Amino acid sequence: MNRAPSAQRIAEWLIRTACRRLPADVRAEQCREWTAELPAILDDQSIRPSFLRTLRALSFCLGISRTARQLSRSARAGSRRARNSQWRTGAGPARPHGVAVRTIAGLAVWLVIVAGVITLGRMFPDPSHWLLIAALPLAIGFDAFCLADIARAAQVRYLPKWAWVLICLVQCPLGGIMYLSIGHIGRPRPVTPDRGGGRLRRA
Amino acid sequence: MKLTRPLERVLRVLTADPSAPHYGYDLMKAAKLPSGTLYPMLARLQQEGLVDSEWEAQRPDTGGRPPRKYYRLTGEGLRVARLELAQASRVPARRAGRSATQPAPGGTR
Repeated sequence: MNRAPSAQRIAEWLIRTACRRLPADVRAEQCREWTAELPAILDDQSIRPSFLRTLRALSFCLGISRTARQLSRSARAGSRRARNSQWRTGAGPARPHGVAVRTIAGLAVWLVIVAGVITLGRMFPDPSHWLLIAALPLAIGFDAFCLADIARAAQVRYLPKWAWVLICLVQCPLGGIMYLSIGHIGRPRPVTPDRGGGRLRRA
Repeated sequence: MKLTRPLERVLRVLTADPSAPHYGYDLMKAAKLPSGTLYPMLARLQQEGLVDSEWEAQRPDTGGRPPRKYYRLTGEGLRVARLELAQASRVPARRAGRSATQPAPGGTR
């Protein structure tokens, strides 16, 4: 019945790959639904010549990939929102992946600090250079702040999150400043009626 | 919910025969939408309870093809869709009426 088994197989593989992004509880069902559409496309007699059907099926798969990306994003945003609110109010347990990640990050930061202090102590035995050594924890702290901000932000501007992380890490203080001034989306601040009064009083 | 042009097309197809079940490719063809637009929309509509889906029962006359998932408007969905479509068709009419009563804006901007 199906005249292009290889097209069917490629399309099925594309759909399976796309579905891997989806949350586990809906993955199998969505994959089954989308795969079931393929015979209808590949046997659609209104699309001629027949190789256009294959193209149609492939473009269908591209759309599925887009759909899966969108669905997984909205699912992730929903679960993150739920988890965050639970975590903030203390209603739920600690964030599931948070403990391991934070332990490793904390250990890594400590290792970097200790190693940095030791090497700097060796490189600069002269106390006149110790100002630089004092500035280093500041830079590291600032970077850590920026990274935490990126990790917590629901969205960042212009670049994907990993790119901002890279920029912050490579350009130690400058990258962080760039992120905060360009990529950071601040929370909408509640309008304070006090502001206008303050300006008036100052005037 | 904002009535975008693709959403309007999907709702028109679905309200044309509210009892008829539609599967995804059928809707894609009828509404002339790519799959990357249609499926997220269906997911959203389903989440809002406006569209219902069910798996096709396996029958011997389907020639061994896998069962499809069929979409259909819920009662609430039909009500909302008709309302939205009626509003959508009223707004351009009003706009057209206004431009008919007023002279064409020719360079007075």
